[in-house]
Amino acid sequence: MRAVDDSLMSSTAPVFAVLLPIAGAMLAPILGRTSRSARNVVLVVACAVTAALAFSFVPATMTGEIREAYLLRVTPQIWLHLRVDALGVLFGATVAGLWVLVLVYSLSHMADSHRLNRFYAFLMLCLGCMMGVAYAGNLLTFLIFYELFSILTYPLIVHDETPAALAAGTKYIVYILIGGSLVLVGVVFTYFVAGDQTLTAGGLLGSETDVGVLRAIFWCFIAGFGVKAAIVPLHGWVPDAHPAAPAPFSAVLSGVMVAAGTFGIARVVFQVFGIEILTHLGVMPYVAAFAAFTVFFAAVLAVSEDGIKRRLAYSTISQMGYVTLGIALLGAGAAVGALVHITNHAFMKGALFLCAGLLSKRAGIRSVSEMAGVARRMPWTMAAFSLASLGMIGTPPLAGFISKWYLGLGILDAGQPFYLAVLLGGSLIAAVYLLPIIYSAYFREPPSSSAERDDTESEAPAGMLVPTIVASLMTLALGLAATVPGSPLSLAQLAVDAFFR
Amino acid sequence: MHLWPHWLALIVLTPLVGAALTPVVALIDRRTPTWWALSTMTVTSFAATMLVLRIFHEGPFSYVPGGWTAPYGIELHFDEFSAVVGVICLVGWLAVLFSSRYTDSLPEFARGRTPYYYTLLLLNCGGMIGFTVTGDLFNLFVFMEVLSLSGYALVAVGGERIAEMAAFKYLLMGAISSLLVLFAIGFLYGITGTLNIADVTARLHGFEGPTAPAAVALGMLVVGFATKAAVFPLHVWLPDAHAAAPSPVSAVLSGLVVKVGVIGMIRVYRIYYGSGMFDLTVLNLVLIWLGAISIVMGAFFAVFQDDVKLMLAYSTISNIGYIVMGLGLATTYGVIGASVHIFNHALIKATLFFAVGAIIYRTGYRTLTDLRGVGRAMPLTAVALSVGAISIVGIPPTAGFLCKWYIALGAFQADRPFFGFVLIFGALLIFIYYIRMVNAFYFREPVHAEVAEAKDAPVSMLLPTLVLASLCLIMGILGRVPLTFIEPGVARLLAPLGG
Amino acid sequence: MEVVDIRPLLAPAMSFACAGMVFLFGRKTHWRRFWMLSAATIKMLIVLSMLPGSLQGVVYTFDLVDFTGGIGLGFRADALGMFFALVSSSLWVATTVYAIGYMREDEKRVRFFGFFALCVSTTVGIAFAENLLTFFLFYEMLTICTYPLVIHYETPEALSAGRAYLTYTLIGGAFVLVGTVMVHDATGTISLGHPGILDAGIGTGRLGFIFGLLVIGFATKAALMPLHGWLPRAMVAPTPVSALLHAVAVVKAGAFGIVRTVYNVFGVDLLDGLGFTLPLAALAAFTIITASVIAIFQDDLKRRLAYSTISQISYIVLAASMLTPFAATAAIVHFANQALAKITMFFVAGAIQRTTGKTNVHELAGIGHQMPWTMGAFTVASLSFIGMPLFAGFITKWYISLGALESGQWWFLLVMITSSLLNAAYFLPIVYLAFFKPARGAAAPMKEARPTLLVPTLVCAIWVIALGTTSEVAGMPFSLAEAAVRFVFRM
Repeated sequence: MRAVDDSLMSSTAPVFAVLLPIAGAMLAPILGRTSRSARNVVLVVACAVTAALAFSFVPATMTGEIREAYLLRVTPQIWLHLRVDALGVLFGATVAGLWVLVLVYSLSHMADSHRLNRFYAFLMLCLGCMMGVAYAGNLLTFLIFYELFSILTYPLIVHDETPAALAAGTKYIVYILIGGSLVLVGVVFTYFVAGDQTLTAGGLLGSETDVGVLRAIFWCFIAGFGVKAAIVPLHGWVPDAHPAAPAPFSAVLSGVMVAAGTFGIARVVFQVFGIEILTHLGVMPYVAAFAAFTVFFAAVLAVSEDGIKRRLAYSTISQMGYVTLGIALLGAGAAVGALVHITNHAFMKGALFLCAGLLSKRAGIRSVSEMAGVARRMPWTMAAFSLASLGMIGTPPLAGFISKWYLGLGILDAGQPFYLAVLLGGSLIAAVYLLPIIYSAYFREPPSSSAERDDTESEAPAGMLVPTIVASLMTLALGLAATVPGSPLSLAQLAVDAFFR
Repeated sequence: MHLWPHWLALIVLTPLVGAALTPVVALIDRRTPTWWALSTMTVTSFAATMLVLRIFHEGPFSYVPGGWTAPYGIELHFDEFSAVVGVICLVGWLAVLFSSRYTDSLPEFARGRTPYYYTLLLLNCGGMIGFTVTGDLFNLFVFMEVLSLSGYALVAVGGERIAEMAAFKYLLMGAISSLLVLFAIGFLYGITGTLNIADVTARLHGFEGPTAPAAVALGMLVVGFATKAAVFPLHVWLPDAHAAAPSPVSAVLSGLVVKVGVIGMIRVYRIYYGSGMFDLTVLNLVLIWLGAISIVMGAFFAVFQDDVKLMLAYSTISNIGYIVMGLGLATTYGVIGASVHIFNHALIKATLFFAVGAIIYRTGYRTLTDLRGVGRAMPLTAVALSVGAISIVGIPPTAGFLCKWYIALGAFQADRPFFGFVLIFGALLIFIYYIRMVNAFYFREPVHAEVAEAKDAPVSMLLPTLVLASLCLIMGILGRVPLTFIEPGVARLLAPLGG
Repeated sequence: MEVVDIRPLLAPAMSFACAGMVFLFGRKTHWRRFWMLSAATIKMLIVLSMLPGSLQGVVYTFDLVDFTGGIGLGFRADALGMFFALVSSSLWVATTVYAIGYMREDEKRVRFFGFFALCVSTTVGIAFAENLLTFFLFYEMLTICTYPLVIHYETPEALSAGRAYLTYTLIGGAFVLVGTVMVHDATGTISLGHPGILDAGIGTGRLGFIFGLLVIGFATKAALMPLHGWLPRAMVAPTPVSALLHAVAVVKAGAFGIVRTVYNVFGVDLLDGLGFTLPLAALAAFTIITASVIAIFQDDLKRRLAYSTISQISYIVLAASMLTPFAATAAIVHFANQALAKITMFFVAGAIQRTTGKTNVHELAGIGHQMPWTMGAFTVASLSFIGMPLFAGFITKWYISLGALESGQWWFLLVMITSSLLNAAYFLPIVYLAFFKPARGAAAPMKEARPTLLVPTLVCAIWVIALGTTSEVAGMPFSLAEAAVRFVFRM
């Protein structure tokens, strides 16, 4: 079923993109014993080269070229295969880009933490597996990297080894294992029904398959990925895991790992089933309804949450609801909006979590109620926070606006204006839960007790501040440069064009 | 003129004459009876070898002493079942060899009577040989009495009180059974007017008179021989007798003497199958059930014995159960298995009793508790014992396996799978005993210094034990030889006369 | 293509010889070690030397004794047997090294190593058994040879466990023997060299009877519930023995027996029409779930592993009873997958016990920092059992799942998934305790197990990954499994 007009090209670059971080991960504990700086240099280099590789795919992809690499053939029925299509490039570049920022940030943020070798090793392993997820050429490869990074995330979540972190880790692992199992069921089903698993635009499953079986496969996938994508009511782990994890890791957890779930849903919807079959099955309206509910429900919970990171975590759930909604509408415009929102949200939410990390690290602030007047002490941090927040709310010309614009257009295209209300309502509530933080930081008087500490606490060091600011500037850049060739928007359009051909 | 038939006379006469002369040669020197008995058994064994070789090549044959042909003269008949003389001679010879040192350990009372001990042993072997090769019912009885009487005396040879009691019990039961057999032979003579087995069969074939006497005779013969064979519930004499006797004697009694009852049954069966007088289904069913009960009961009691020899005695009951069941199944496989088991069980049980005898000789103890750790002290003897035990359980490729396999197959052939189960679970029970023994011998710390410091048995004991143990293995691997050998005999046994 | 070759006999005979040498000359430590290691290596080499031929479809046969009437002792190294032999002979090398380290201070080493060698000899004998009788012979010998190992410490507890073990397995053996006799009675042959020797003409009742006998007989050793009672109790044995019992020899022999029964005695075509396998599958599914649930509540590490074994072995039974090619692949490869992962875990349990004296799960807090490599190996094995991709266990899970769909029995899929989750529920807490839970009291300094314990553990753990990633590499046994499946399904 492979589309013949794709110009396939065999290439080892995708393999390197996956293996390089893993090699870095192997080196981290070895180097870390003797020299911290050597380790840090190696890690940053590995991460940066990976990012460079990820970006290097963009130009070729824009010309319609698809790179392929066979990774491993485990048995005749199990093989790993990488295939870099537009959707994969989009996600891969997002992951690698955010990772560089987070890694640099954590070098100084985590400097005084314990068991750093473990932390960095697993962080890099996760990167490798995320790249694998992005470039997976068949469902099984997808599954394998998906499961691996899910498990490898655990030591990062419980890194602090506090009782709360351990409890959150346990909750996470229970959710993820169940979700992973459901995905596995779906993959096995698909393999059994369709045989070949290469992910191409047309969809793997033929319409001759029994409708009941197709529905079963579909719900297995949605429920499985839904755990990771935090679709309500499968979101339970998200609000616990984010506050428990170290701040830099929360950034990637929220920015790209949750998104991996929605990315999986996109792969399933567009490349396993295909538009036609799903329209025929009539299951998507239900997914859309769930997604819409997620948007609202999580946003409302975010408003009532006092902890900054918890609030941001609920915001993530809500935002991922947008992505799922966009995919579920099965319209070209909505799909573009959804896919580009994955990238946009990654940087916006990444920036927010990095800021939250700075706040807690430098000022000891963990809840919204403690934020009063903090902008005076940490002006750069709060500037970044504000920019990203505005992006999140959907203020033009920032990144969030672009994705919401396309989503809105897609909703109208799909003829379901009701969801427009969801979109706008969600943004409105986002404003309700984000703007008060900014307001409080800038305009409220700091409590007298913290004034005494003014001298000792100032802005964060550059090592942390620069990545934070870069991340939030990305919000602006992604918004302004949306129409430049090679931008996330163009890649998303390219991918969606293939799906809706 | 061929010399073959004379071997047949020789094999019967040699041990009997040798037995008679043993007390005489004892006058020469204290050690002479041993050598005398050994040479007697050597000659007998040689004769047995020649006979077995002949039947291998030519099939059954008869010898009529003095040229008096049947039905008037005494006929010696050598058929496939008679080939058991081979094992009788082998075990007898080895028992004599074994006894050469073993008699030293007998109580004072017996030591002075060593010549008589050998006399009895030789008489016993002679009786058995005569029993298996005679073609005449009355001779059958006579030889049975020879071997039985010598057997009673051998049990009591130790002179201990318990041995006397056991011998007395044995004597009582044996006498009753002899009486039954004698009466039955009288009945058959009354009906047919002949004592020659072949003639009796021929005359009963198509017999037109009242059948009741023949039926009564059958019943008495079966009960009589079943007592000799110690089939449940007629086994009560066996455990005590075999446990109380000196070990070489136990080997002969358990390995060979009880088989006399079985061979007697085979002879009786030949008569009644051949004559086609009765439908033997009911009798067979009784035998099967008695066999099954013997198997389970014998094995069950064996498991709970602490005394090793008593365990072996109960195991004999169990094994006789196999043979009787095989006979009762009356299918080719079943009877072949039973017949070969007569032979194999003799080897196995002799191995076991020899090994146990050697251990008792060295340590003076005979219960599992006392013998803890003996496996490490007497490795070769214990290995022989283990081989025998494995064989008696019926683990391939030892001698015990094929017979049990055939009897089980016979059970399925007869469409009685239940008895296949009984058979295998009986073996399982025996296995459990074996485990207890191995546990005690190898895995427990010795409780007695004598046991810990014991050495392997002397050569005169070790050699017979090891020879038999290796035969247990060899006969397993060459298992097809006896099976194919006995097959025509079994076919003839089961076929009606002229049919 | 069949070739008469003595190597299928030589492989088990090698360890027999070694056992003899150990018994005779084992008092001197270096001689004993020499015999153990050289025999282990040579035997593995013998088995390996047959691998190239076997991969090309050559079947090595050797008839040792032919009693009469279609019964005898024979050896036959077909693909299925080769797979099992390869697993057990290579793991023997690892376990031998481990046992040398583990039993260093033990008084009864001679006896231990002698029977140890015998056990593996009989296992290879089972793998290469050409007919049911040879199978039965080695099967019973295995029972006997393991017994001294189970009661090695000779404590009342050990002796009672030994008794339970014998009672179960001997009764099972008797069932097998009756079944064997009935097979011979029905067909006149007991060969295992065909894809099924029974045929429907024998009658459903009798076939059912035979199936029941053989399966019950083998299931006692495979510890299928409710016949599993002996296995957790047998945990009193020294750890290398537990590893051997659980990962390589005993339970596998039972499972192998069931596989042989299904594929070589009955044949898939016949069983497909009879429907006997459904109850068996249901029982296996029940065992998988129940044993896992029980495992969660075990605090003694070895007991937890024992219940895990009960659960894992039933994978093989479940897969075998699905009667589809994919499921058959799963059943066969799981021999290796389960063996390596479980032996790793037992090695770890033993290493922890020897190094720190800890035997209970709740004591393991923080031990991951004390023994990072050991616990790393444990983590690898855990992930394999959970079915993490790129670990050995995933391959099993994948093929069983495919097999479940192939057979149209979707509920097997649910069983698989539930079981993976339960595996996570009883293994991950151990990993969690070891690495993430701070040690009670002062943190102990890093102190790894001695090299003879650590190296085999790590080698096995690496193999768990290798089996999960490189099964397709030339010379890996996966293609043997495929060849076996092709033979069984006459493809």
